[in-house]
Amino acid sequence: MNGLSLHRKIEEHTGLLIFGILFVSSIGGLVQLLPVLTQDSLATASANTRPYTAVELTGRDIYMRENCVVCHSQQVRPLIAEVERYGQYSRAGEFVYDRPFMWGSKRTGPDLHRIGGKYSDEWHRLHLLDPRAVVPTSIMPGYPWLDERLASETGNITSKLTVLRRLGHPYTDEEIANAEADLEGLTEMDALVVYLQMLGTGFSEEDAAMQGGAH
Amino acid sequence: MADLPSGFWAGWIVVITLVSVVALAWLVWSIYFGRDQHEESEVEPVWDNNLAEGHNPPPLWWFWLLFGAMIFSLIYLILFPGLGSNTGLLNWSQGKRVADSYGNFEATFADARAAVVDMDLLQIQGNAALMDTAERIYQRECAVCHGPEGRGQANLFPNLQDAEWQWGGLPEQIEQSLRGGRRANMIAWQSILSAEVIDDVAGYVMTLHEGGDADHPGKPLYEQNCAACHGVGGDGNEMLGASRLSDDIWLYGGDFTTIRETLLYGRTGQMPAFGERLDDFQIKLLVALLAR
Repeated sequence: MNGLSLHRKIEEHTGLLIFGILFVSSIGGLVQLLPVLTQDSLATASANTRPYTAVELTGRDIYMRENCVVCHSQQVRPLIAEVERYGQYSRAGEFVYDRPFMWGSKRTGPDLHRIGGKYSDEWHRLHLLDPRAVVPTSIMPGYPWLDERLASETGNITSKLTVLRRLGHPYTDEEIANAEADLEGLTEMDALVVYLQMLGTGFSEEDAAMQGGAH
Repeated sequence: MADLPSGFWAGWIVVITLVSVVALAWLVWSIYFGRDQHEESEVEPVWDNNLAEGHNPPPLWWFWLLFGAMIFSLIYLILFPGLGSNTGLLNWSQGKRVADSYGNFEATFADARAAVVDMDLLQIQGNAALMDTAERIYQRECAVCHGPEGRGQANLFPNLQDAEWQWGGLPEQIEQSLRGGRRANMIAWQSILSAEVIDDVAGYVMTLHEGGDADHPGKPLYEQNCAACHGVGGDGNEMLGASRLSDDIWLYGGDFTTIRETLLYGRTGQMPAFGERLDDFQIKLLVALLAR
């Protein structure tokens, strides 16, 4: 048996060819994806990471709806330049309650993973209404409609939490029962600002030290 | 390393990876140098008298390219993490790369930075290079709210160039504001005072920068309700962040409507804490820049 006769045989038998293609193209997934899916350390929440509250989850849904992820990443890479600019680089355990994660792949604007607490709520409001009001050179579009719509109209929060609980997020019955009340009176802007202010706050020094290489 | 796969899955990765490399090496090798009995025994078909497929083996440099890539990948797997739980001879990791960078950074700059932290503010302010660095830190961290020139913005973020400092303009007070942040706490008076009273107080507050109108109906109301924080003469209180009303500098606006709004709904302007985001060197430079 050598390569050429094997090749000839596969070429002459379509079934064998299909099987061969499937087999070869699955190897990458078997090596790269399958072991990671079973790796507990990647699915364990950092000590300070908790499931999103009803308001934060709604803010996150608005973040997704407005496609913030197209221009803003949520991953500080492990490079000194990024750590100096944004703060601690992102750890896997901080994203366990992200479905789906909003890592993004392009930074037209800055990374947002460590934005929580950097600016005041009032700044975020002004900036979302009209970015040029606070950053004259900004090219970000304004989102004035966020202030005119109610957060409670962004999907059914009770069923969102129920579904997430089924997927393993530890919500209590009480949290689910109170979800609608939590959103009452809040605009989409309020919810989005609450979400932005909690971004990156799930980081835990202890976990980072355990994994080594913490700054 | 907690984040490398271990146990069964480590073995799984090692076996599949190595078997794949060996299988590929065999395939490439035998395609170039193996003998194809089938082809040799068969008479090559010729069409239209002289049209034959011919046997054109792929160029040999392809072989070396493929083989070189495989050797490269093996060397890579020996040096770097990749084969299961093996951390590689170089013991490289992304986190370690950051830590090492900080190690180099400290080794190069720690002394110079520590010296700046111990320097006198006047000395720093007299050093053009340090002030240039301070200016860049300001532009990166502060300008977004306080404006690129530090003149405040949006009737919400204080002007840092004028004489009024709501929380105090001494270097220590500025440093405290930077490290711990500030949260103003002007309460909403709408549930405490009637609308007419608030109008009177607003009217009186507008006269404070001219010494205060002694006959104004708002004067006793002001002294009763506001003077505890803002002072009888409106000089403010830096300890409480109660702004000075006796000058004509207004953060939120000094017209009647805005002052009335401030009284009705209160103000809770917030300066975020930067003690965790910036290090001592950066904070010292910012203090030098702002206390100028």
